[in-house]
Amino acid sequence: MTGFARRFFSRPTAALGFAVFAAIVLIALAAPLLFARGPFAIVGMPLLPPGSPGLPAGSDVLGRNMMIGLAYGARVSLLVGISATLCSTFVGILLGAVAGYYGGLVDDLLMRVTEFFQIIPAFVLLMVLVAFLQPSLTSAIIGIALITWPNVARVVRAEFLSLRNREFVEAARTLGMRDTRIILTQILPNALPPIVVVSSMMVGNAILAESALSFLGLGDPNLLSWGSMIGGARSAMWVAWWTTTLPGVSIMITVLALNFVGDGLNDALNPRRRR
Amino acid sequence: MKLHYIAMRLVKTVLVAIAVVLLSFFLIRLAPGDVATVMAGQSGYADEAYMKSLRAEYGLDQPVPVQLWKYVSAVAHGDLGTSYVRSQPVLTIIMERLPNTLLLDAFALVVAAVGGIWLGGMAARRPGSAIDNATAVLAMFFYSVPQFWLGMMMMLVFAVWLGWLPPFGIETMGADYTGLARIGDVALHVLLPGTTLALYFMASYARLTRTAMIEVADQDFVKTARAKGIRERQVARRHILRNALIPLITFAGLQASILVGGNVLVENVFSWPGVGTLAYEAVASRDNPLLLGIFIVTAVLVSLFNLVTDIAYSIADPRVELGQ
Amino acid sequence: MPLVSIQNLTVALPPGADRAKAVDDVSLDVGASEIVCIVGESGSGKSLTAHAIMGLLPRGVTAAGGQILFDGVDLLKEPADAMRKRRGRDIAMIFQDPMAALNPVVKIGRQVTEQIRAHRAVSEAEALKQAAALLGEMGLKDVPSLLKAYPHQLSGGQRQRVMIAMALSLSPQLLIADEPTTALDVTTQAQILKLIKRIQAEREMSVLFITHDFGVVADMADRVAVMRHGRVLESGTVGDVLGNPSHSYTRALIAAVPRGESQLPPPPDARPLVEVSGLTKRFRRGGLFSRGVVNTAVDNVSLTLSRGETLGIVGESGSGKSTLARCVIRLLDPDAGTVLLDGADIAHMKPGELRPLRRRIQMVFQDPFSSLNPRQTVGDIITIGPRIYGEDPKEARARAADILRLVGLNPETMNRLPHEFSGGQRQRIGLARALMLKPDVLIADEPVSALDVTVQAQVLQLLDDVRRQMNLAMLFITHDMRVAAQVCHRVMVMRHGKIVETGVTRDIFANPSSDYTRALVAAIPGRQTK
Repeated sequence: MTGFARRFFSRPTAALGFAVFAAIVLIALAAPLLFARGPFAIVGMPLLPPGSPGLPAGSDVLGRNMMIGLAYGARVSLLVGISATLCSTFVGILLGAVAGYYGGLVDDLLMRVTEFFQIIPAFVLLMVLVAFLQPSLTSAIIGIALITWPNVARVVRAEFLSLRNREFVEAARTLGMRDTRIILTQILPNALPPIVVVSSMMVGNAILAESALSFLGLGDPNLLSWGSMIGGARSAMWVAWWTTTLPGVSIMITVLALNFVGDGLNDALNPRRRR
Repeated sequence: MKLHYIAMRLVKTVLVAIAVVLLSFFLIRLAPGDVATVMAGQSGYADEAYMKSLRAEYGLDQPVPVQLWKYVSAVAHGDLGTSYVRSQPVLTIIMERLPNTLLLDAFALVVAAVGGIWLGGMAARRPGSAIDNATAVLAMFFYSVPQFWLGMMMMLVFAVWLGWLPPFGIETMGADYTGLARIGDVALHVLLPGTTLALYFMASYARLTRTAMIEVADQDFVKTARAKGIRERQVARRHILRNALIPLITFAGLQASILVGGNVLVENVFSWPGVGTLAYEAVASRDNPLLLGIFIVTAVLVSLFNLVTDIAYSIADPRVELGQ
Repeated sequence: MPLVSIQNLTVALPPGADRAKAVDDVSLDVGASEIVCIVGESGSGKSLTAHAIMGLLPRGVTAAGGQILFDGVDLLKEPADAMRKRRGRDIAMIFQDPMAALNPVVKIGRQVTEQIRAHRAVSEAEALKQAAALLGEMGLKDVPSLLKAYPHQLSGGQRQRVMIAMALSLSPQLLIADEPTTALDVTTQAQILKLIKRIQAEREMSVLFITHDFGVVADMADRVAVMRHGRVLESGTVGDVLGNPSHSYTRALIAAVPRGESQLPPPPDARPLVEVSGLTKRFRRGGLFSRGVVNTAVDNVSLTLSRGETLGIVGESGSGKSTLARCVIRLLDPDAGTVLLDGADIAHMKPGELRPLRRRIQMVFQDPFSSLNPRQTVGDIITIGPRIYGEDPKEARARAADILRLVGLNPETMNRLPHEFSGGQRQRIGLARALMLKPDVLIADEPVSALDVTVQAQVLQLLDDVRRQMNLAMLFITHDMRVAAQVCHRVMVMRHGKIVETGVTRDIFANPSSDYTRALVAAIPGRQTK
């Protein structure tokens, strides 16, 4: 375990990514404590530049404090990103493991379903789902989980297919081990590294998807998110660059940090592979 | 060429289209409220009788299986129905916008592939060098940026601050260019949205190319090629690159399906009159036939493109037989 | 003056490798028109020495000292382009795995002409003619279609002949062969070795032959050098080194090569414990919509096995021997036939009935690197079996210590992970895992094929000891006739899924009745020059 931590933090990008992500999580958790009035409170004149008194990040189209908005936006992004990925990963592992281990009809069925999700326009489907389930945090989480679980399932299935025929799994069968126990104790621990890596990248993608939804106005109407900040500032973009640039940079930094962490995990979990 | 296999694939495409129709049909049924609610809301009339007559007009008061059957048989004849909102045949509406999206996609694909493979090749030749690390970081950057925001930033820089390129649309409104001038005008307009789309995929191509080339370079047959005394440049071309390109073909196929379906944001930001903006409008106005039509057309296009990719793959790699 | 003179060559490994030098102060000569063998186990540096001559050291590995004189010129100091011109023209090299060594997407003809045209200014058509002549010279048939084929469409032997043809295309003075037959079947190996000897004599070429097999050395070499841990331990003519080895390692290496003669007494006469009748297993390739290809991997095989005896199943790759083993132990379900274990037919039992019987048949697997779960400690790996059958974990661990001692391992290492052990040690762990369940039948599927020769001898001895001590019935799968001769009382030869011949080992080797068995025995390296 410590060897893994050592390998992970020895990469500067991974360590940096981890630190940045941790900082963002802290900000998100601390936001209601620091800024009790919430992000919707109007604090002054609209479109004041960053550096104006009391407005380190300026004010938006309606005169709200950008800094508070950014902090609260982090909560939405992280909540949706992490929840959607957890659901997606859980379903993906379940179905992918069964398909990869047992093969046959279950596997065929899973492959057809995965192909279906690849062929239809995924983002359009997401829009349809969210719009018709009424835009909210829950519908965003469900929608994103629904269109991303096939990716996890595919990776899990591939891993299980390859591990299923490894000699130590054959040995477990000759020892009389039952299938469920083999899947859980023999194969899954060895299949985890690529799953972990894929999942960490997926959190980033989920955050991007959520921001896209709220940009288009399909986000939770009661909450402020980075995407909705950008969407709301479209008209002001030309004259007040900070209204769109700052939220965008926030998204980018968060996702970048997550991707660096994913890369670091990849290298730390597969030490034999050289860059 | 295995005609039998191609025929089977085309049949599969039809089956998939039907599955898409069925699934989408029921998905859209989930919608609370329907076109009648929307239109009633828009026009201000909200009384029951009006909504009832609207529903009857659109055939929405009939039992679901009947509606489904009517729809499927219509699709089989190439009739994707009529848009609720625009009162035009769905197929016509989509076909008007489709070439614009395809143009954008083609541009993005070519730029991404060419640029990405070139960058990835350079990085692979000197692993661990400054160029390699720079490419990796750049690739990471473009993975992490929200596409719509990137588009807005590029618009800000190139169209507003520098004024080099037009910010919106597919051609300059009211200018009525024809012939070569029109092509030039459209070309200018494609640059910004096309490059925005391309940057994300270029990152993927670069990373994939780099990984593929490094893996191939380690293989025994590359050693054999050098042992034969062949010039290094030929080793790089005929042995390394030729084999590294194979997995990239699959990736191009994957990318195309993402492009066709994921254009909504970039098209929206740049007001590009394509299928993406159409889809957004259809969602907003609960225009079910249009939405369904978009799903079907997209599914068919992607299936066809996958078939082309598979054929290309089997040509590129003689070990693979079509139908495996 | 010798053609090649390696003097004090040192090859350094990149930092972080398990040792600093792969090749340490090695000196070796290859004269004109002679065959020199470098023999050693894995990690001896023999392969890197050969690569250094060609200037083909992998990235990060560098020649750190010494000279390689070729016709008087120091190759290590040659500029890159001059060295490139020499490759393929003055010195040629062939590698171990011909499938991996040929570009999979370029036709055979083109791969041969590519080399010719890299050094001579001839047209593609002219080069193709030369290529065709070469391939014919190598004994390949149907050359015109071969030229248009892709590597995956050829057999292993054909591919290696193509490699040799390419190597000879410009009549080099030196041919370096890096374990060229290790990846081939025994019969194919014999043919390729004969081919190399023939062309060496015809062209009066020098050959530097890398191998780990002293039997091959006996057949091929004029002179031999023994390498270990990057150093040359001894060298000389084949007669001297084989007849009168001066270094103890050389002696151990020679002694470790299994004799092709059986020294085992005839099998004990006992009632059969395992009876297999008419076992058949088919594999179908292809899905719902395409016409499937049926491969009968095991075709109507019958055998018996008694306590205290070892039955060897010998065959080349594709003979079905591994599939047979997996059917007997019910890792695969046979399509037809019965497998009687003490009278009970386990071939078609349902999993519930089968489970209690599973502990009576256990298996030792081939690949030490994938037969142990990399994330479990050795202690867990070994004790899981008994625990599944309800044994108390503490008792299991106590027994595990005993079993580990039995197989020659220190019980204190129980808490380590597999990657901390060597290949031979891992095979011992695999054996311990099997023995913990106190089986009656032990199936060993190529248990030593992935091990170095000296380690191989130890593990074979261990298996034999265990069989005798625990009175096991052992089924021993192997492709190496010599190994079969050493440990098996009876031998069954398989080919294309069918039994070719069965009998007492001594009889089969002395008097093979089928042509195929005769070919297998004749192909054993080193048998001729005893």
